[in-house]
Amino acid sequence: MWVKLAFKLFSREFRRGELTIIFAAIALAVLTIFSLSSITERISLNIAQKSSDFIAADRRLSSNHAFDGQILIKANQFGLKTAKMLYFDSMLFANDELVLGSVKATTNTYPLRGKITIKDSLISQAYEVGSGPKVGFVWLSEGLFYTLNVNVGDTVELGAGIFKISKVLVKEPDAPFFSLSGNKRVLLNYADIPTTQAVQAGSRVFHRLLFAGSEKQLSDYYAWLKPELKSNQTWEGIKDRQSPLGNNLERAERFLLLAGLFGIMLAAVAMAVSAKRYCERQYDPVAMMKTLGGSRKIIRNIFLLHLSLVTGFSIIAGLAIGFVLQYIGAEYLSTFMGTQLPQAGVRPWLLSGFIGLICALMFSLKPLLDLFDIPPLRVLRRNLGDTLAVSRIHIALSFMTIFVLMWIFSGEIITTLILFASTLLVIVILFVISRLVFSAGRRLGLRPGSSWSLAIATLQKRKNANAVQLISFALAIKLMLFLVVLKTDIIADWQMQVPPDAPNMFIINIAEQEVEPIKQFFSRHNIPHEDFYPVFSGRVDAVNGEPFARRVSKQEGEEKEEGAREGVRREPNLTWLASLPEGNEITEGQWFADGASDGDDIEVSVFEGWQEVLDLELGDTITLLVNEQPIDAKVTSFRKVDWGSLKPNFVMILSPNMAGKVPVTYFSAAQLQDKHTKEISKLLQRYPTVSMIDIKAQIEQAQSIIAQVSIAIGFVLSIVLISGALVLISQVQASLAERMQEVVILRTLGAKGRLIKLATLYEFMLLGGIAGLVAAIVSDIALLVIQQQLFDIEGRLHLYIWILGPVSGAFFVSFIGYFMVANTMRQNTQGLLRKLG
Amino acid sequence: MSVLSQLNVIQVSGLTKRVNTLDGSLTILSDINFSVKSGESVAIVGASGSGKSTLLSLLAGLDTASQGDVCLDGDALSTLDEEARARVRAEKVGFVFQSFMLVQSLTALENVMLPAELAGDHDAKTQALALLDKVGLSHRLEHYPSQLSGGEQQRVAIARAFIGSPKILFADEPSANLDSKNGHLIETLLFDLNRQNGTTLVLVTHDEQLAKKCQRIIHIEGGKLEKIIEGVAANVG
Repeated sequence: MWVKLAFKLFSREFRRGELTIIFAAIALAVLTIFSLSSITERISLNIAQKSSDFIAADRRLSSNHAFDGQILIKANQFGLKTAKMLYFDSMLFANDELVLGSVKATTNTYPLRGKITIKDSLISQAYEVGSGPKVGFVWLSEGLFYTLNVNVGDTVELGAGIFKISKVLVKEPDAPFFSLSGNKRVLLNYADIPTTQAVQAGSRVFHRLLFAGSEKQLSDYYAWLKPELKSNQTWEGIKDRQSPLGNNLERAERFLLLAGLFGIMLAAVAMAVSAKRYCERQYDPVAMMKTLGGSRKIIRNIFLLHLSLVTGFSIIAGLAIGFVLQYIGAEYLSTFMGTQLPQAGVRPWLLSGFIGLICALMFSLKPLLDLFDIPPLRVLRRNLGDTLAVSRIHIALSFMTIFVLMWIFSGEIITTLILFASTLLVIVILFVISRLVFSAGRRLGLRPGSSWSLAIATLQKRKNANAVQLISFALAIKLMLFLVVLKTDIIADWQMQVPPDAPNMFIINIAEQEVEPIKQFFSRHNIPHEDFYPVFSGRVDAVNGEPFARRVSKQEGEEKEEGAREGVRREPNLTWLASLPEGNEITEGQWFADGASDGDDIEVSVFEGWQEVLDLELGDTITLLVNEQPIDAKVTSFRKVDWGSLKPNFVMILSPNMAGKVPVTYFSAAQLQDKHTKEISKLLQRYPTVSMIDIKAQIEQAQSIIAQVSIAIGFVLSIVLISGALVLISQVQASLAERMQEVVILRTLGAKGRLIKLATLYEFMLLGGIAGLVAAIVSDIALLVIQQQLFDIEGRLHLYIWILGPVSGAFFVSFIGYFMVANTMRQNTQGLLRKLG
Repeated sequence: MSVLSQLNVIQVSGLTKRVNTLDGSLTILSDINFSVKSGESVAIVGASGSGKSTLLSLLAGLDTASQGDVCLDGDALSTLDEEARARVRAEKVGFVFQSFMLVQSLTALENVMLPAELAGDHDAKTQALALLDKVGLSHRLEHYPSQLSGGEQQRVAIARAFIGSPKILFADEPSANLDSKNGHLIETLLFDLNRQNGTTLVLVTHDEQLAKKCQRIIHIEGGKLEKIIEGVAANVG
């Protein structure tokens, strides 16, 4: 019998709109989590896939020595897909033209990730294929066709072999990272290496093994491989420390994570407010039912069924809307990016459903328990049970739930703790501020009978309720402002990294006498270019006289800097410069003073990452071996280097008085377009030692990822904004219910609708304005910290939000408040009285 | 149990209610003793704050006494817990309140059916329809409380009070919220239905005229039973 009654009550309550906010809050929590986690997962999968494309594999192993056969056998045993590559330089000969080409020989499984772009002839359309040339064929990059004066279908001699040119090689997924002569690339089948006879004992070759598989297979395999690795072998993944993509991806992931956490917080606040309000509205019916003999068990069953129904419906609705939203978002992204996003797994479904369930259960539990405890005597003493309304247990339980939800969602206890603790702190500060503000208002002494006086009197009367309201308004506004600003800053920062006119080609190995002619060539063809940097390679031999090898072995136990230490062992490119390069920042010490002469000591500015690895301090002397010639340089500064900037970056920069002490080549970067290809080929023909590294693909990918993530961030932001708006609406609605009685009394006493409406408008305007101002200040301070700590962006104050916050807060809150009160005012007083009865 | 006590459907003995306030313990009702026979109509009168509503809450088992006991149709309320008292109310008691206390989300018909449904009665609808017909609201079955006038809402409340044929009906200022015309209508309806059903009526009011319609008047003042006036009603049924 109670089931029928419960369903009847449920359908009526639903129709009356009593359950709407609760329903919307759960549905919003679910759809926020669903669409966020699903779109994040799909984008991360896509980005991971694209990044994998970038190295043509998930992981790769590189060395200048041949690999032990066991390495591949084991990889296959672990279920990994593998491919072998070999790089070497070899002479190509055709039509009496002889040129040194950079050869990449690959097995048929290459590429494991991504595609090779080719053309059937120089003038036909480019298209993608999944594997390289067959035995007996070669694919040449466009530049070689001009240099050798050949066409598709001609033959070319490569070492001792003769091969048929079958395609024009446009792009390999992994070309940019290691092709040193981007213009003279040859793709060859691995099986043809012996035919060329180009690889002999002692030849300069570079070996690479590619691996692809699931994360588990890869990590299991690496666990086996790690102890077997030799010092000349490097294991690389897509999230390399100095990869320009790595940093951006990490930032995007952090932003999405933060946005998700904020979304949860907001939905949780909406849920907590609406659940409490709903239960309070049920106090009278429950007291009545108890009076009429309804047992506690029946009442409990009725309301638990209500909760289950509303939870079930809202989870289903949340999932459905979330699915549609993420579908639209993903479709838009796909169309925009021209790629299909991979499907997300079951995780978003399970996670969002679970979070919806927890949300519903935890936020309704205490209000429901309170509801079950309502004494039947309330039918005679109407205010009985009202004291239950503010419950410390409910607050504690709600906070705990929010914390657990954030933790479940992020899986990161530290981020969760930081965010949670800072939010708690904000709440405490806001509470104190709100109490002070509302008490101060009392002394304002405005004209009696005016809307302002009524507004201020009302604000003061509900000091506690207003404090709670102010906090939730401010929190909602804070989270919204926070994300809006962060989004703008992150995207601006990214766009700064890869501006539209970023150079897309590195030009290396330029001899001193070639600098001027090349500069002239660039200006003749209007090609924008960077400065020409002198470059030489040198190895760190000793620090303060102590041999470097011993120094590094001391820190062998530390895992995290392993990659960087590898870098120190190699011979990095060094330069000398008079001024600090753009994008670099001195973290310690001073940049070189002007006018150092030949006789002075040579100074060096070191990348801060190496400061830790080499355990350097200012004033230390580094001995560099340049062409076996020792050069002492005194460390005078440490620099932060933005490896994501795609500009020429150096780990060590020496003072300009280094000039003339060692032989150098020059290095520059330029922005080339397709139309320049032919001219560039001629230039390279004239200066055969000059090489070009094409980073176009790298830039395009960075820009594509930035665009993709920017859209995703915008999408996520709009979801969080909806959550925020819902919190504001639920709060205004809750407070309106409280003030209904007052409106009725004022109306009955003959107060004009205009007075009441204006008083409400001012009251909400004040509340919204104060909340907005506090929110702006708090979010700006939080932004300052978070941008520096989590996002590695230079923190700065954003004064515009100090205005935007209060104005938007006052406008939004008063708009909703006014609209709702005006709605109420349309009913006649008798109608309102009856509703109250 | 004596024949007399069997006839007494309400037996109040030494009933005392004290509450704790900031200034210490406050006695609201002190040592109240009286009994009500089956089918009798009794008015409890007194000024505001005299304790009459508290007495009603104790009689109906909505609240518990500090001392003494109420025996409701053989059930000593002091020995029962909240659940058992609710069961007693479900089986034996009907209520009419000053502020109607209708469930806003239920229609007139559903409000009347509510007590029967809570008691698991399968005949709720038939009974409710008949009662609403008796109170002259057959044409308002599907209306919600907010769509009814105050008088109509109280008539729904009266119909609800009589569903399940309770032995005892408690009415708390049933016409206080209504104008004199509607108030009079409600009073007549209440007494008529009471007579037809042979229900025991306990009415709390400060309206002397209304009280005089009852067979006995119990005067409460300052939490004490001041006097009981017997046989006042002209329409003793």
